[in-house]
Amino acid sequence: MSTYTIPVGPLHVALEEPMYFRVQVEGETIVGLDITAGHVHRGMEFLVMRRNIYQNITLTERLCSLCSNNHPFTYCMALEKIAGIEIPERAEYLRVIADEIKRIASNLFNAAMLAHIIGFDSLFMHVMEIREIVQDTKETIYGNRMDLAANCIGGVKYDLSDEKIKYLMKQIDRLKKPLEEIIDIYINNKFVRARTEGVGILPKEEAIRYGVVGPVARGSGIDYDVRVKSPYAAYDKIKFNVHVENGCDVRARAIVRLREIQEAINIIEQCLKKLPNGPTCIDYLPEIPAGEAVAKSEAPRGELIYYLRTNGTDMPERLKWRVPTYMNWEALNVMMPGNKVSDIPLIISSIDPCISCTER
Amino acid sequence: MTDIVKLILDLLVFPGGLFAIFFGLFLIGIDRKIAARLQRRIGPPIYQPFIDLVKLIRKEMVVPDTAHVQAFRLAPLLGFAGMMAAVLLIPITGVYQGFGHSGDLLVLLYLLSLPAIALMIGGSASSSPFGAIGFSREMVMMMSYELPLLLVLVTVALKVGLATGGIATFSLSEIVQFQLENGALLFDYTMLPALLAFLVFIPGNMGVVPFDIPEAETEIVEGPILEYSGAGLALFKLMTSLKMVVVLGLAITLFFPTPMGENFLLNLLWFFLKCLVLMVISITVVRTSTGRVRMDQAFKFYLKYPTVLALISLILTLLQG
Repeated sequence: MSTYTIPVGPLHVALEEPMYFRVQVEGETIVGLDITAGHVHRGMEFLVMRRNIYQNITLTERLCSLCSNNHPFTYCMALEKIAGIEIPERAEYLRVIADEIKRIASNLFNAAMLAHIIGFDSLFMHVMEIREIVQDTKETIYGNRMDLAANCIGGVKYDLSDEKIKYLMKQIDRLKKPLEEIIDIYINNKFVRARTEGVGILPKEEAIRYGVVGPVARGSGIDYDVRVKSPYAAYDKIKFNVHVENGCDVRARAIVRLREIQEAINIIEQCLKKLPNGPTCIDYLPEIPAGEAVAKSEAPRGELIYYLRTNGTDMPERLKWRVPTYMNWEALNVMMPGNKVSDIPLIISSIDPCISCTER
Repeated sequence: MTDIVKLILDLLVFPGGLFAIFFGLFLIGIDRKIAARLQRRIGPPIYQPFIDLVKLIRKEMVVPDTAHVQAFRLAPLLGFAGMMAAVLLIPITGVYQGFGHSGDLLVLLYLLSLPAIALMIGGSASSSPFGAIGFSREMVMMMSYELPLLLVLVTVALKVGLATGGIATFSLSEIVQFQLENGALLFDYTMLPALLAFLVFIPGNMGVVPFDIPEAETEIVEGPILEYSGAGLALFKLMTSLKMVVVLGLAITLFFPTPMGENFLLNLLWFFLKCLVLMVISITVVRTSTGRVRMDQAFKFYLKYPTVLALISLILTLLQG
């Protein structure tokens, strides 16, 4: 049988962002893969050096839409490390809450995309409807549906009044029941199972070799979560489980993401209960001395690392970040071969690629 | 002479042609609305397929540089013409006799495979790799649903044929006549498996989820019709709407042709109602409650369930006869 090439992308209905895959196919079976990146390069790393450190909080938030909170969060952590700023305890909890709310929205979006790709549009609509609860919550508390603008140097920009805490509790309670339902669907529904089980397998050894992070790693049986391995903000004061699946396939990664939503709800509830009183931000404008720092956090897609160097002026000298998708997309070379053409978008979506973070 | 005039009127105005197109588009509009309501969406207005069609016809038809021009242009016409002819064969009891001769069921069987063949020709002529994949998928899909369809048709033909003293009757008018005298086959327990097999055949033939594999939007971006635009795409849409009428009409003719009294309009309305109920059961509900399966899974499914169901009916019929 002869081999021929199918272009998937740069614009493709199943990809949310432009990415170009040249897939070598023999009949209906994939034999090879060629990833071409660079379609949404916006020169962000250069832009960062042209703006002062405060403006960069806004800029980094616009790197990506679905994990937008993690970027300014990690950037602020790096700055605080350089300047040696201790942030108030209340701010630590508030940062965790903002982060977990974004995680819920991001993971639900990916779950919905899985349903859309396998043609199960009713499930897609259903999951998006549940996600709408989270979006409403974000709009009520932060004033925005996507970019929360929650972080600033030395703390957070928002505060939770008693009324808002009550509202947040209520909204999170509303999520629980439908979430149980959809997790049951993703695990047990025959159609979802037939399409996701045994598809896009990434064995544990290969996962370690490629250094994958986030739900992709945890779906392949690697117990690695930055929130536990090197806790930041308030994560060391909160008890939660890291969900690990051993299926190594698309289904395992989807289940990990859905279970993480439940865990995020648990984390937010604990935060709201433990939320200490006090200021939400330091009360002075900090001086950032010359220095360098590395900060990392667990974005919805995995480990996010920021390297920042300052030279004493108000502009950073260098800001470099390594996003989770950069580690994960190389692993597509292992997941793809041997699968059918119909599984291409499914496998791509299972690493939850964030192209605009990666190519910035 | 009047025969020919009547035939042309039948073909172009009623019940074929304009009427059938209107009927099919209307059904598709309702299908989209109900599906949207089932997914808690508002959904497009029922007349959406009509305005889509008008829009498409007014647009330019782009032919890809690398395409085989004649085949690319003729493929939608082939499918559309095939379905226009097929509508003519479907009788509407109490309204239209059908362009019936003794073997029209067999002719219909051949005509029913024309849309798939048109899609295959169009897909491979478009020279797009997605078209090529769509071609192979369409072919496998056709091979999987044709067998149960054939078995169901033979079962019905044998049932009627054996009961009326012959061997097998491939005439739709005789099948209708038999059911008018002896009650609809819908209420015959030996025919229930065959009916189920036919219900399973409908979503496969209509190419809706879970069997929209040849055109899977998120996998191979509509496959064969990817490169079509303007009038060519409009013809494919018309073909689909006519196919809807033919497939649903065939099911009603084979299993439940019972009319509603003598009134012409009442019978037409009754036929429409039957089509609507059948469509909701076999298309709308199915496509909103399932996800797309893979080609190999679909092939195995068709080989297993509908084929076996149809065989059960066939054996029961033979035992009775």
